[in-house]
Amino acid sequence: MAAAYLTHQQKVLRLYKKSLRHLESWCIFRDKYRFYACLLRARFDENKNEKDMVKATKLLKAGEEEFWAKQHPQPYIFPDSPGGTSYERYNCYKVPEWVLDHWHPSEKAMYPDYFSKREQWKKLREKSWDKEVAQLQAETPAGGPRTEALPPARKEGDLPPLWWQYVTRPKERPA
Amino acid sequence: MPSLHIILTTSFIITLVILISPVFTSILYKSLNRNWHTHHIKTAVKMAFFTSLLPLFLHHHTGTELTITNLHWMNIMTFDINTSFKLDHLSITFVPIALYVTWAILEFASWYMKSDPNINQFFKFLLIFLIAMVTLVTANNMFQLFIGWEGVGIMSFLLIGWWWARADANTAALQAVLYKGVGDVGLIFTLGWMATNLNSWEMQQMYITAKSLDMNAPLIGLILAATGKSAQFGLHPWLPSAMEGPTPVSALLHSSTMVVAGIFLLVRLSPLMQDNPFALTTCLILGALTTLFTTICALTQNDIKKIIAFSTSSQSGLMMVTIGLNQPYLAFLHICTHAFFKAMLFLCSGVIIHALNNEQDIRKMGGLLYLIPTTTSCLTIGSLALMGTPFLAGFFSKDAIIEALNNSYLNAWALALTLLATSLTAAYSLRMIFFVNMNFPRFPALSPINENIKSITNPLKRLAWGTILAGDLMTCAVLPPKPPMLSMPPYIKLTALVITILGLTIALELALFTNKQRPYMPKQYFYFSTMLGYYPTIMHRFFPYTFLKLSQTIGTMTIDQTWLEKTGPKTITSLNLSLATTTSNIQKGMMKTFLSLFFTTLMIIILLNYY
Repeated sequence: MAAAYLTHQQKVLRLYKKSLRHLESWCIFRDKYRFYACLLRARFDENKNEKDMVKATKLLKAGEEEFWAKQHPQPYIFPDSPGGTSYERYNCYKVPEWVLDHWHPSEKAMYPDYFSKREQWKKLREKSWDKEVAQLQAETPAGGPRTEALPPARKEGDLPPLWWQYVTRPKERPA
Repeated sequence: MPSLHIILTTSFIITLVILISPVFTSILYKSLNRNWHTHHIKTAVKMAFFTSLLPLFLHHHTGTELTITNLHWMNIMTFDINTSFKLDHLSITFVPIALYVTWAILEFASWYMKSDPNINQFFKFLLIFLIAMVTLVTANNMFQLFIGWEGVGIMSFLLIGWWWARADANTAALQAVLYKGVGDVGLIFTLGWMATNLNSWEMQQMYITAKSLDMNAPLIGLILAATGKSAQFGLHPWLPSAMEGPTPVSALLHSSTMVVAGIFLLVRLSPLMQDNPFALTTCLILGALTTLFTTICALTQNDIKKIIAFSTSSQSGLMMVTIGLNQPYLAFLHICTHAFFKAMLFLCSGVIIHALNNEQDIRKMGGLLYLIPTTTSCLTIGSLALMGTPFLAGFFSKDAIIEALNNSYLNAWALALTLLATSLTAAYSLRMIFFVNMNFPRFPALSPINENIKSITNPLKRLAWGTILAGDLMTCAVLPPKPPMLSMPPYIKLTALVITILGLTIALELALFTNKQRPYMPKQYFYFSTMLGYYPTIMHRFFPYTFLKLSQTIGTMTIDQTWLEKTGPKTITSLNLSLATTTSNIQKGMMKTFLSLFFTTLMIIILLNYY
C-alpha cells in the first residue's frame, strides 16, 4: 500500500539503485563496472542486519552525502526516460481520438468500416459511462484517490472504469 | 568576354530557379505519392549543384567575376537599395559546396526521417533555409545579406524545434533565437552606421568610402553579429543546445552552412577590417578563447552530437583566429573544407543513433567498427580530417592557418591557446572513435543495425570523397591572394603535426586506462569541462532570475507603492506630521525667549530696510 512517507527499506534501495546507475556512468566498461558494483554491494550488505534504527538512519544519511559528493555530473539517462534525448519527442504526433469526429464526411467516407464500428463503440461508451462513474464514486476513499491506478470491473458484463481513454490512447511511437 | 558573363548569369539564375521552384510546386501540385515532394526537392538540389558547377569552372579557368544588379527595389533620396548578386570567388566556390553537402544530407534525410508524417514539410524547411543561405552568400548589399541572415535564423528556429512537443527542443530553439538576436543587434547597428556615414549598403561603395573613416564602431557590430551567429565565446551555448533538432538539421545548419555565416560575413567585409588593428586583435583573441574553451568542453561530453557540436564551435573559433591574422582567404578555405568532414561526421552520428534505437550516449556504444564498417570508416576519416591529418581536406586549411599563426608576430597568448586547442581536438576525436568504434558493444543485442541502404552509403561516400579530395583540389585550383610564407624553420612547419600527434598519444594512453581497475576521484577541472565551464548554469539562471526579481519588485511593489502611497496619502501624512510635530515642539512656553527673538528679528529687518 503506497503511503506519503517512504520506509527505511525503500530509501536504502533507492540509494542503492541510483548509486549503481551513477557507477555505471563512471565505469564505462562492463567488467570494471561489475567489479565496483560488487564492492558497492558488499558495502551495503555489511550493514544490512543493523537493528538500531538511529544508527541505520545515520548510515543512510552518510550514504546519501557520499552519493551527492561522488555523483556523475552527466549521468546516463535512457533515451525515453525524462531528461533523455528522445523523451516526449513523438508527442507532437499523438493526436487525441476526438479529432476523428471533426473529419469531413468525404474523408470519413474513405474508411466506412472503421467509422461505422466507431459509432458502435461510442454507443457502448455512452451506455457504460454511468456505471463507470458510479463504480469510481463507490470505490474512491473520502480523502481522494491514493494512487493513479484504476480499479478493474467488479460485476459481470461491466466494463472497467475509464476504459475509453485506455483503448483510444495514441501509440507510443506514432508512425 | 561578354558571352562568359551571359553564361555565368544564366547558369546562376537557372540554379536559383531550380532551387525556388519546388517551394511553389508543393502548393500548386498535390501528389498521391507521399514521398513525391521529398524526391522532387532532393532532385532539384542535385540539379542545382550540377548547374552551379558551370560558374565554378568558368571562374577557375578564366577568373571571371560578376555582379548582377537586376531590380531597383527602393530608394530614399540618394540611398538606393537594389537586388544585386555578387558572383565572386567566395560565392562561386561556396554555393556548389553548400549544394553538394545539402544534396548528401537530403538523401540521408529521406531515410532518417522516413517515419516522420511531416517529412515533406521538413524538406521544404531545409530548402527554404538553403535559399536563404544562397541569398546571404551571393548578396552584394547589406540589406539583401540581412534578409538571408534573418532567413537562416528563422529556419534554424523552426528546424531546431521540429519536435515541438519536447520541452527541451522548444527551449533550445528559443535559446538559438535569443543568442543570435544579441548578435543581430550588432549587425543592425552596423547597418545603421553604414547608412548614416557611408550613405550606401552596396559592398563596392562601402569599401571605397570607408577608407578614410574610423571604422571601430561598425566593425565591433560586425564582430558581435559573427559572435552570435558563429557561436563564439559569450554567445555560444545555443550551438550544443541546437542538437535537439533532427540530425540532418544539425548536419546542414549547425555544422556546414549557417554556423559559418558569421565568419563568412567577416570574410566578405574583410576589406573594411584589414587596416583596423583593433578589430583584428579582437577577432584573434575572441577566436583563440572560443577555440580553447569549446575544445575543453568537448573533452568530457558523452553525447556524440554534442561532441561534434563543440567541435564545430571550436573550428569556427579557429576561423575567427584566421580572420584576426588578416588571412580571410584561409578562413574561407577552412569554411569550405570544414563543411565536408563536419557534415559527414554528423551523418555518421545519425546512422549510429538510428542503428542503436535513438541512443546518443557514447558510453552505450562500442564495437560498431565490425557492425557498420562504412559508417565507422567515414567517422574515422572525418575525425582524421578534423585533426588535420596530412593530405586530407582539413590539412590544407588547418595547417596553413597554424603556419600563418606561427609566422605572425602577433599575440603569443592567442598562439598558445590555439595550439593547445589543436592538440585537444585530437584528444576528443580519439575519445569519440575509441568509445564508438572500438572494444566490445555496450548496447542491447536487439538493435536495428543496418547500413546496407543506398540512402545511407551514397551520401557518406560522396562526402568522404569530398573530405579526401576537396582540400587538394581547392589548393591546387586557386592561387591565394596573399602569398603564404614559403620558407620557415622545420620546427615551425611541423608544429601542427607534432602537437596533433602529441594530443593523440596522450589521449590514447588515457583511453587505455578507462578499462583498468583504477578508481579515481574526478578533479575540479573535470567538473569545469563537463558543466561547460558553468557558463550556461550562470547565464541561464542568474541573469534571468535577477531581472525577473527586479521586475517583480518594480511591478508589484515599487510602482504600486509609489503611486498609491508615496505620491498621495503617505507623503502628505508624513509632511503634515513633521510640520505639526515641529510646530508643537516649538511651543514650549518660553515666552520671554520667543518675545526677545521676535523683537531681535524685527529690529534686524527694520535696520536692514533702513540701510
